[in-house]
Amino acid sequence: MPVLTILLRRLIGLGAAVLLSSFAVFLVPFVAPGDPVRNLLRARMDAGVADEQTVQAYAEQFGLYDPLWVQFGRWLARFFSGDMGISYVSGTPVVETVLPAVGVTLLIAGISILVAMAVSIVLGVVAATRAGRWPDKLITSITHALIAIPEYAIAPLLVLLFAVKLAWLPSAGFHSPASLVIPVFVLCLRPISFFTVAVRSGILQSLGSEHVLAARARGLGRTGALLHHVIPHGLLPLWTMTGVWFAGLLGGSVIIEVIFAIPGMGRLVFDAIVNADIPVAQGGVVLVVICAVLVTSAVDLVQQFSDPNVRVGARHD
Amino acid sequence: MKLGRLHTATAAVLLTALLASCGASNQNTAAEAAVDSEARLVVANFRAPVSNWAVESDDAYVLSIAGCLETLASYDQVGKKVEPMLAESWKQASATEWDFNLRDGVKFQDGTALDAQAVENSLNHVLKATAPARAVNPKTITKVKALDADTVRITTPAADPLLPYRMASVNAGVLSPAAYTAKGIDPFGHCTGPFAPVSEKAGQSLSMDRNPNYWGGEVKLAGGEIRYITDGTTRSTQVQTGESDIAMSIPATNIATLEADPSVELAKADSPRTATLYLNNSRAPFDDRELRQAVTMALDLPAIAASVYEGIAEPATGPFAPSEPWANSELGVPAVNLDEAKALVQKSGHAQDKPLEIVAIVERAEFASVGAIIQEQLKQIGLQANVVTKAYGAVEPDLLAGNYDMVVSQRNRMIDIADPIGFLQADYTCAGGYNLSHYCNKDFDALIDQAAGESDAAVRHTLYRQAGDILAKDAVNVWLVNEQAIDGVGASVQGYVQDPLTRYVFTKDLAKTK
Repeated sequence: MPVLTILLRRLIGLGAAVLLSSFAVFLVPFVAPGDPVRNLLRARMDAGVADEQTVQAYAEQFGLYDPLWVQFGRWLARFFSGDMGISYVSGTPVVETVLPAVGVTLLIAGISILVAMAVSIVLGVVAATRAGRWPDKLITSITHALIAIPEYAIAPLLVLLFAVKLAWLPSAGFHSPASLVIPVFVLCLRPISFFTVAVRSGILQSLGSEHVLAARARGLGRTGALLHHVIPHGLLPLWTMTGVWFAGLLGGSVIIEVIFAIPGMGRLVFDAIVNADIPVAQGGVVLVVICAVLVTSAVDLVQQFSDPNVRVGARHD
Repeated sequence: MKLGRLHTATAAVLLTALLASCGASNQNTAAEAAVDSEARLVVANFRAPVSNWAVESDDAYVLSIAGCLETLASYDQVGKKVEPMLAESWKQASATEWDFNLRDGVKFQDGTALDAQAVENSLNHVLKATAPARAVNPKTITKVKALDADTVRITTPAADPLLPYRMASVNAGVLSPAAYTAKGIDPFGHCTGPFAPVSEKAGQSLSMDRNPNYWGGEVKLAGGEIRYITDGTTRSTQVQTGESDIAMSIPATNIATLEADPSVELAKADSPRTATLYLNNSRAPFDDRELRQAVTMALDLPAIAASVYEGIAEPATGPFAPSEPWANSELGVPAVNLDEAKALVQKSGHAQDKPLEIVAIVERAEFASVGAIIQEQLKQIGLQANVVTKAYGAVEPDLLAGNYDMVVSQRNRMIDIADPIGFLQADYTCAGGYNLSHYCNKDFDALIDQAAGESDAAVRHTLYRQAGDILAKDAVNVWLVNEQAIDGVGASVQGYVQDPLTRYVFTKDLAKTK
């Protein structure tokens, strides 16, 4: 399929995803029980209850009692003119809030995925090339165990060990490279598990493929075959998984961000939804969706170019 | 610890009790150790600013904790009285007019002098906010006017003896005129306090430097940082590892760990919050006082305090904490009396065709357990109930409309000012805006009206006491436990005076030892 066609399809998909996700997020505060305006006021002043006059005045200021389609249309018009709107809680431009947060999340998710890829390639190759022997069994057992351990359970254990007992690393925050070590470690554990399984399986499949056997028959050594034929093909499933996991980490690391006091996108969007700060929630989700679609598209393109079976313009005759 | 001036023997007795009840934070432990004048101190705070530093919002608490924002008056939690801060003195010019005389020689951190015009500007800015503060809003203050360079006149819609208390609210903070920009409030360089904010990492922290020209005298710390850490366990860990010197609001689950750590002290004080089982007085079955009394007799409050709160909360004796000067010291914890409770249930004629509902607010994780205990204890007197957990925002419309049976929630009695008048008016008068119990008693209302206009604090406290007695006698709710404010404090911290209302942390006397 031509690259331009792929990009065009992705662009249409991106538009649809932005529309759907922003509308879904927009609806949440209105379909959830309770009054979204009072939730907004509670975010500004925690305790007590606002009187009806204040609620009305606040709602009028932001047009929150207008029909839903009017409110959404208003946001859409602003969005397409390059304006993400104003936060209902802080009164500041949404873009000033979401851009720093997406930067933080991209950094942490990016490092986590890269670490996960590096570790899983090593583990997956070792497991596959020693299939059925003790290294394979050990790696498989560990990765399966890691899949089952939730982040909220492993994070406090690591903090206890490395921050409290050993005092090697900070327990929380986002103020130095050292403060990223434990959050990244926690975030990359599950991807390592899934990636390792995928790499092992891909390498095993590749080891038995005809072109590898043919290369070996032509006299290519085991290491050469591994490096030039087996690993490049065996890693193909990893690319797809990488894109999906990266997209998931962009918005799905709320727990880690709360535990480690990281000012990232997951926490920002979660708080915005709870507080009914609709413009911030919409802006955050749209940015995450855009990043996710861009990343998965990039991964698809990489795959297109690296996989002879799906290479752009490849002929199978 | 500031003692203030106490003038009566009664107050002296009261103070003794207060000192005993307030946790002896760490203010004396390192008294003899040398203070490090170049030290910077880190505080892990549970609250993050979210409203672009709007003074009418809770962001004002962060600025106040940071030692940046100051007010005309301050509230001495220990002495329970209002003291001068930016205002040197005040007097009533008429029943509805108060004149505040400003302190000489106070400058904002940008070098401009504090004058009456700046105060007028600051207070009017809060009064004009779309969502004004509870203590300072057009219903409590009608006009703020600079009479001359040093005098501000504040007019109230009706006689308000508590106006100085309102001026001690963080929402009445005063900033330099330059702080009020088209983009919102800019506190950087525009406060009067002992510390000047110098940088902020969005969503993470605020850093401050010492204000070398502080009107109140020498500031002991070189600077500090407030970290916004919403997770209680993370705050506890921060003080344990030494990354933070003070961790505010330690959750019950972390108390034992910190108590076992020799590098951390726990500062404890009665908080003005009481966990309460609200009973809907407006509909059956709890429109029957005897049934409400039966519920009170069925609940084992010491057991709840000991189990769910692991001993860091005290069983409640009534609507006020015993350490508060308006509490009735003769009230004890309601005794469990299942036989009498059963008899009252029978006498009420309450026939249960379906279980009652106990709503436990999810924002406080322990309330689900409290609800479960209440459920079990009510079963013993023949009242079947189900516990449901709901987010406060989701259940609030039902609570306000009176569509519920029972709800486990908590309430800060000093929500707007350091006096319970706002709480009593909002929560228990017939026209109260937050009367979740839907309680209405004309005698009670008359007492509260009288208290609201009473300028003598001792008389007012007596009226509050009588009002509290009425609420207890009518068994309006079951006040379950009085919560404690608990902060973790590192061993090198000196001069920290815990404020259960979480307004003051970075003071000029806060220090670290070498």
